[in-house]
Amino acid sequence: MVADFLPNLISILILVSVVLAIVGAVRRVKLWRQGQPSTIHWAGLLAIPRRYLVDLHHVVSSDKYISNTHVATAGGFVLTIISVVLIYLLGISGSILNYALLTSSALMFVGAVFVLLRRRNPPANLSRGPWSRLPFSLLIFSSSFFVLTLPATGKLPADTGGWMLAIMLLVGIAWGVGEMFLGMTWGGPMKHAFAGALHLGLHRRQERFGGGRSTGLKSLNLQKDKLGVEKADDFKWNQLLSFDACVECGRCEKACPAFAAGQPLNPKKLIQDMVVGMAGGSDANFAGSPYPGVDVGTQPASTYKGGEIIPIIDVLVPAKTVWSCTTCRACVQECPMMIEHVDAIVDMRRFETLEKGQTPGKGAEVLENLKTTDNPNGYAPESRMNWAADQNLAVFGEHVQQADVLLWIGDAAFDMRNQRTLRAMVSLLRAANIDFAVLGDKECDSGDSARRLGDEATFQRLAKTNITTMQQYQFKHIVTADPHAFHCLKNEYQDFGGHYDVYHHTGFFADLVKTEKIKLDNKKELSLTYHDPCYLGRYNGEYDAPRYLLEAMGIQIKEMERSKTKARCCGGGGGAPVTDIPGTQRIPDMRMDDAKSTSAEIIAVGCPQCSLMLEGVVEPRPDVKDIAELMLDALSVQDSPLEISLVETHP
Amino acid sequence: MSDIFRRDPRAEWIARNRLHPQHVPQEPLVLRGPTGLLRKNPHKIGFIGPNGIKRIDRSGASNANQLGRKAAKQVEVELPLHQVDSPDFNILVAVDAVGGRLSSHDRDTLGLAHTLANKGDEKGAVIAVFFDDITEENLETAGIDSLIHFDDKGYKSYNPEQRCADLCELVTTLRPKHILLPDSINGGADLGRRLAAKMNVRPACNVWKVTGDQLICRGGAGKTDITRPLSKLLLVMEECSEPVSDTRHQNMPLSVDVNAQCQLKIQDLGNISVDPNEINLAEAGFILSGGNGITDWPKFHLAAKTLGATEGASRVAVDDGFMPRERQVGATGTWVTAKVYIAVGISGAIQHMQGIGQCHKVVAINSDDSCDMVKRADLSAIGDSSEILDELLNLMQGDTGLSEQGNTEVKYA
Amino acid sequence: MLKDISKTTSKNIKMSVLISVGEHPLSARPRRAEQDARALELGLKLAPESLKILYAGSTGDSAATEVLKEYMGMGIDQLEVLDVPPKTDVTLPLLEKLQQDCPDVVLTGIRAENGESSGMLPYLLSEQLNMAMVPAITDILCIDKTTGFAEVLQALPRGQRRKVKVNLPFIASVDMAAAAPRQSAYGSAMRGHLKIDPVTRTMHDAEQEQWQISPAQARPKRLKIVKAKTAADRFKAATAKVQGGSGKVIYDNKESAEAILKLLKDEKVL
Ligand code: SF4
Ligand code: SF4
Repeated sequence: MVADFLPNLISILILVSVVLAIVGAVRRVKLWRQGQPSTIHWAGLLAIPRRYLVDLHHVVSSDKYISNTHVATAGGFVLTIISVVLIYLLGISGSILNYALLTSSALMFVGAVFVLLRRRNPPANLSRGPWSRLPFSLLIFSSSFFVLTLPATGKLPADTGGWMLAIMLLVGIAWGVGEMFLGMTWGGPMKHAFAGALHLGLHRRQERFGGGRSTGLKSLNLQKDKLGVEKADDFKWNQLLSFDACVECGRCEKACPAFAAGQPLNPKKLIQDMVVGMAGGSDANFAGSPYPGVDVGTQPASTYKGGEIIPIIDVLVPAKTVWSCTTCRACVQECPMMIEHVDAIVDMRRFETLEKGQTPGKGAEVLENLKTTDNPNGYAPESRMNWAADQNLAVFGEHVQQADVLLWIGDAAFDMRNQRTLRAMVSLLRAANIDFAVLGDKECDSGDSARRLGDEATFQRLAKTNITTMQQYQFKHIVTADPHAFHCLKNEYQDFGGHYDVYHHTGFFADLVKTEKIKLDNKKELSLTYHDPCYLGRYNGEYDAPRYLLEAMGIQIKEMERSKTKARCCGGGGGAPVTDIPGTQRIPDMRMDDAKSTSAEIIAVGCPQCSLMLEGVVEPRPDVKDIAELMLDALSVQDSPLEISLVETHP
Repeated sequence: MSDIFRRDPRAEWIARNRLHPQHVPQEPLVLRGPTGLLRKNPHKIGFIGPNGIKRIDRSGASNANQLGRKAAKQVEVELPLHQVDSPDFNILVAVDAVGGRLSSHDRDTLGLAHTLANKGDEKGAVIAVFFDDITEENLETAGIDSLIHFDDKGYKSYNPEQRCADLCELVTTLRPKHILLPDSINGGADLGRRLAAKMNVRPACNVWKVTGDQLICRGGAGKTDITRPLSKLLLVMEECSEPVSDTRHQNMPLSVDVNAQCQLKIQDLGNISVDPNEINLAEAGFILSGGNGITDWPKFHLAAKTLGATEGASRVAVDDGFMPRERQVGATGTWVTAKVYIAVGISGAIQHMQGIGQCHKVVAINSDDSCDMVKRADLSAIGDSSEILDELLNLMQGDTGLSEQGNTEVKYA
Repeated sequence: MLKDISKTTSKNIKMSVLISVGEHPLSARPRRAEQDARALELGLKLAPESLKILYAGSTGDSAATEVLKEYMGMGIDQLEVLDVPPKTDVTLPLLEKLQQDCPDVVLTGIRAENGESSGMLPYLLSEQLNMAMVPAITDILCIDKTTGFAEVLQALPRGQRRKVKVNLPFIASVDMAAAAPRQSAYGSAMRGHLKIDPVTRTMHDAEQEQWQISPAQARPKRLKIVKAKTAADRFKAATAKVQGGSGKVIYDNKESAEAILKLLKDEKVL
């Protein structure tokens, strides 16, 4: 009696929930479709399993515990669902299927136990609320199906337990199915499975899968009626989809330097607020860490219930939140769901700057300077080459029309600290007999900070001016000591027709050392650590060249705990020093503490911005030296040109 | 001290003779440069002569002057009196005379007027117009031949319309060849332009040089030089000419019956007291700036208040939350132009030094005498900052007492 | 110190702001003129509804139009342009325009950032229109149309302020010490509208044509001139300049306090 009744009821239950889930899915898709049009990469859908198993797990596997747990739980869940659908909806039976269901639910159960264990004392970056409920739902779902299937496999007599058990099972399955099926499309924690899978397939940056990289900001059409993102529906539809994929794992929060410095930014909450902006609800329901210093539920929109779409900034999210970001991309690197926080943040900044004219701090001044003098500090454009008055540099258009290498100076030209790096670079290039020239006063700021401060108009003007200038001359490569300019020239000028072979100076010098054009003295005994610049490392994947150079000098690098992909930002990117949103501590101070804990005496850097930020830390602290400066010190004197050896012997 | 020149020929001779074993060069003229080569620093050789031309004294006398001679006492010379009895024309100068004293800008203006008056064969007289009281002590040497003084009560306040009307009437009665005003924020710029509009003449503004019949004035907000014919009304910049210094003038009071009536649309409600800390750093004339080396911030604030200084801060002090961001001095904060800048506990990061580049006098209070700020400072106090501030505060208290005493003495005298 | 402007300012104040095309002091690129932008900022603060923004100048060159757009980026939908040909005096057309409009308050910068830059325009207008003229203001405290007065703050050197009462209507030039202009937003700059009025009567500035204009020469630093009567004195004065090393360093607290105080007195900042 029980044995017949139960499967029927379960079939109905599952049928109903599948139907409801589909309704939910349609509603969810409708929410996403409020967004702006964007290319649909249908082919990506086919790649979902591969992307899940390879790309996503590549990120997750940095935490072995959770990656194994997730494989067990999610794998068990998917198999369980397939079996359940086959058995209960399509009525296919057979002992193989029963055993499959048994194993898969057992697998899922084991996974769920580990999920539960993890959640006993959850770290601060994990969300609570519904997410604390999830492991129980998983356990109930899997155990219910396990017990339900036992009789069918003959392991237990058919009538075991009688009505009591039947009812318990029924309740369990109802709960489990509710959480799993309905939650998936109606907005429970399991939403991440549905939205996440689609997001992996339809990701806005398809290049990121299969080991590729896509880090340049997307360009903005300046002719549009609204520039940037004011409300959730100003995002592209696939960005909205991506927000729904968030699993609130808080890995981004753990990586975020602004969050750690107590600035009012938490990338995880930001993504959740975007979901609220799109789907309604209240940010008071958010069960994770708030923006530091901002209480959850105090924004004007905390009682927002959906319906009419509301502006995001200063309604849903405080403006200072988006201005705290250093665009270091640590969150993007860490996010298992490959969500693009930086894109979203810059999109909102664009609206603030281009439409509202409310770039905070010194932002307005810097942008105005860029407009009128092509450099952020408002120095006379014709003083750009003053630092090199004694260097006799070949200037394109004045002395030469072509050279092997265009040396991109960047705004370090105006800064006395970074002029030292530039001089070192020039000496090294000369020592290696490289045929190089500079653009001189015709060079403009790369536009990096303008773009990241949301001023796409100024960025595009600068980019186009620079491209037109460079068009007039012949060169094979561009070399620069500034990773920000490096990134712009390499990845962001392409949209405007600038395709160049760009090197960061460390990459270029590494090649020269490898081919023995530069010989380094490898007897240096330096106690040294290396700080990865965000725009060199995470943005462009260059972790090895600087380390190769340091090792070629015979230096054993004392690596910081946070290094390479996990390196902590110096606090200097994305215009953060310009907007200057206060926190409880400063990002460069934290980074310097990282360096101090290696007990290194020198911190090697490869970026003018990092030099400035780190040198701004109060002494005593390790010395800050650019790799070019270190190289110049270590240059073998025997067969380098006379000029250099003179400098070396009479310091 | 005796005022007889006493030469020490031997010392002079040693100073002249570089090969003499006792010869001590003032500073080594020849140094080993960074490349190991011997280098002569041409800038260190010689001195700038009185007319701005570099002079090299190869005789060694400059050393001799210090070594071998005792200074002769200055004798006050009575300057000759410049008199214009029957002037062929007049030049009218309306000086700012803030607080009744001639500023250096006023003196330069009068200097230019004097030059214009004595340019050709005809001799002109310089008539200066003063509004409000005159407290200037060295009026004689300013180059004023005649003097017109408006000292009604009304002139004590800001009444540019009345002053303009007065000047206008003076112009009609005296028919001056030129009218000169300092192009200054202290009133001259405003008054001059009012007068120009009223008289319907085109003034030459921002004049900085007059040569012959031409003058050069700054245009384009200081970016261009405009050379144009000498005009009737000139608003001149500071240092447009040398002030008069080698003649005395008569300062003859001239009574002209001026009875200008005009509708006064502006009424002065007085200066409002501005809290030094509300003054924009860029405008502040006296800044007390605190940095990382300060241990006792309340004392710093007290000192700023007692001295009446505007507070500034180094980047670190701002980052550490001791001072608000808008108080940050430096290339990354505000560029300041103060007359006196006191840096307490600021060692002087390069950005900070850039930002105070235009300050007239820099005082460093620091515990480290090797820091960059001390190198830049005109005066450095080395020691614990709060102790030095304490001393300063004590002194200030004693001082206010003293100066009150001083005042009473003056009254009795 | 500052009263709440909304309470003390009558409604329906007609305000005009005169703007010009500025020029960056170092790069000489066209930009919003700093003082004019401050005048506009003040206008936007006081009478955002009834504000009229006037530009008199040539619309022929695109750089000027770009700058006008930048002004509109401050949140302005419409800007009136008196299309005055280049090398023509703008006073006359502005005069006629203001006579038509009869504003209560006219705001402008102290002087232009290019051309003669004499700062005469507000004075000429005030004389011709018989309006009061208040130079170098930083703020308007209140405008009372019923009594016909306004109270304004004037900038004095070194951050000091003077309060002045002035009859309506008046012209004021705005000082650099006034509130900084808001950021120009690209979006509204692009969407703003230029309303171009042709100008009938103009006056050609013939006098200017005789002037020679060259880039500003650096002015020699004035040397301390000593008018000495003897060669020896002259010589001493000259050598005094050569000496004079770097600053004095004092290690005793009391002594340093005294030295500092003396310096403060010498510089007259106490
Ligand atoms: S980019 Fe860096 S600073 Fe910005 S949210 Fe991500 S982790 Fe935080
Ligand atoms: S955004 Fe990514 S990293 Fe951050 S909580 Fe969501 S899924 Fe995790």
